[in-house]
Amino acid sequence: MSDESFISIKNISKHFGNVRACDDVSFDIRRGEFFALLGPSGCGKTTLLRMLAGFEIPTMGEIFIDGQPMAAIPPYERPVNMVFQSYAIFPHLTVAQNIGFGLRKDKLPKAEMDKKVDEALEMIAMAGYGHRGADELSGGQRQRVALARALIKKPKVLLLDEPLGALDKKLREQMQLELRDLQREVGITFVFVTHDQEEALTMSDRIAVMAAGKALEIDSPVDLYEKPKTPFCADFLGTMNFFEGSVDSIGGGEAVIKTAEVGSLKSKGPNMDFSTNDRVMAAIRPENIEVAFEQPSSGSFITGKVRASAFLGDRAHVYINVEGRKDPVLTAMQNMDGAASQMSGQDHTVWLTWSDEAVILLPQDAS
Amino acid sequence: MNKSKFGALGVYTVLYLAFLYIPVLFIPLFSFNDSIYIAFPLKEFTLQHYVDMIERKPLINALYNSLQVGFSVSVISTIFGMLAAKTFTKYHIPGTKPLTAFISIPLVIPLIILGISLLTVLKYFDIKLSLFTVGAAHTVICIPFAMFVLISRLEGFDKSMEEAAQDLGETPWITFWRVTFPLAMPGIIASLLLCFTISFDEFILAFFLGSDQPTLPLYMWSQLRFPAKLPSVLALGSVIFLTSFAVVCFAEWVRRRGVQTQTGAAI
Ligand SMILES: Nc1ncnc2c1ncn2[C@@H]1O[C@H](COP(=O)(O)OP(=O)(O)OP(=O)(O)O)[C@@H](O)[C@H]1O
Ligand SMILES: [Mg+2]
Repeated sequence: MSDESFISIKNISKHFGNVRACDDVSFDIRRGEFFALLGPSGCGKTTLLRMLAGFEIPTMGEIFIDGQPMAAIPPYERPVNMVFQSYAIFPHLTVAQNIGFGLRKDKLPKAEMDKKVDEALEMIAMAGYGHRGADELSGGQRQRVALARALIKKPKVLLLDEPLGALDKKLREQMQLELRDLQREVGITFVFVTHDQEEALTMSDRIAVMAAGKALEIDSPVDLYEKPKTPFCADFLGTMNFFEGSVDSIGGGEAVIKTAEVGSLKSKGPNMDFSTNDRVMAAIRPENIEVAFEQPSSGSFITGKVRASAFLGDRAHVYINVEGRKDPVLTAMQNMDGAASQMSGQDHTVWLTWSDEAVILLPQDAS
Repeated sequence: MNKSKFGALGVYTVLYLAFLYIPVLFIPLFSFNDSIYIAFPLKEFTLQHYVDMIERKPLINALYNSLQVGFSVSVISTIFGMLAAKTFTKYHIPGTKPLTAFISIPLVIPLIILGISLLTVLKYFDIKLSLFTVGAAHTVICIPFAMFVLISRLEGFDKSMEEAAQDLGETPWITFWRVTFPLAMPGIIASLLLCFTISFDEFILAFFLGSDQPTLPLYMWSQLRFPAKLPSVLALGSVIFLTSFAVVCFAEWVRRRGVQTQTGAAI
């Protein structure tokens, strides 16, 4: 089949009693791509992954992998392998036996099988660990063994269910890079489940953002971040300031939004498929808001008072109370030349400005 | 206050242990006593009773019968228990609760009632009483024990182990032998030992359903009428006591090893 729809998920639903774990999900995954399923806990990511692996049978819909319908194919005959969230390393086997587990059916001569296992150990930088018991490994090593055990089968697709969830932050970041490199090296399509938006942004070619059993948006990390189409995505990936309002005028790549909280807002953002009087959300990323201590000479601005600031080392989050608005406006600034320290006092009056391009229009009802 | 409380508890503990173990310890004690009467004061030390035991053909036969029944019962019950345990832990079929309850009914029926009813059925179908009928009856009461031991073991390990094996290309059947079976091993051994023990000292069902080939408990009971034969029964009792002690230690060792690999695996 075409490389564009190497994996094709067509109108997949999965119901557990009254729970709709997946609800009419459709999208395609490209050959060789690092694809992330991202969403909050309980949104159906694992369920979708398990349907790809064959452990759950869809209530409705169809899955194709490399053009082949999967409905009648049991897990042990699918061209996919999985790295489980718990790693599922067999405790009664050694590391080498774990890695070679899936080779039994290939009926290789012993020497050749040992060679393959050694190569796999090499690949995960664990040469010489073959004779260790599965219970003598650290979390990161278990993760690697699980990875090698799945990759040695040379699957068409590797499924990973929060494979880094059990690791501490440092190791996690290191493994993110290693995993990404490994994927480029082997060229296998990776489908990766995570609820960590940063992880999804760093690692994937494309992300499907899921919520309540639905796939809301599928796009590249950059486009998802800069051109979200739903308030949910806008909020889930990074943080976002929302201003409720309605379209006053629209046309020619520009719109003016009337808001109750901050008056009129002009937008030259990515989504312009609205018509006059539509209820919309005007959304602005914190890092696109500039904070000034003096009134800007031109352009639109709003004023507020610094309520609190959170120092994050390389940058700072500053919360600004704006009259007429319940939630403070969140701004983010780089901490260059100690800029953040100027914010440490409270009750400064500040002026907030942004470019019209930074104002993204989103439909209101979707969230 | 604290101290007196501990004192009372201490006395209770000592009395409890004494009540539990002193009678049992009399068995080996008198088995080495050179007298056919079980009474103090002790006489000379002797191994004669052990020699008698080995030379007593019917006793050895009874032991052999019991071992035969015990082995078969433990293996068959464990197989059936495994099938049930696998079903109840793997599939969330509706009616699991009533089904488990149904299978465990033999646990709560008084053995004497069970014995009489089984006897009635066997008589009705004109089935000859033999060690087979005893074994069958023991299997009925052992299956629930085996099932519960194995359910707790199967529930103890990560379900994704079996899925991982299937994911790596093994059919459910091969998965069972390559993953489930070895992981359930401590439970299987526990179940085998438990069922064997239950069968080995079961009296009532063996009494109702047995034939002219008595199992050991029946034989021992029949010998109580002859004081002269009692000491060799004591000797056998001591041997069994020692053996079960060793077996229990072994089982515990296996169980601990199982627990260790299990906690090692969970991270
Ligand atoms: N076997 C099952 N039986 C009943 N309900 C289930 C089953 N598996 C999942 N669910 C339900 O389906 C929904 C989606 O579950 P799923 O495990 O796919 O979520 P998830 O996105 O992976 O969440 P998390 O990030 O917490 O792992 C949840 O509401 C869950 O309770
Ligand atoms: Mg999950």
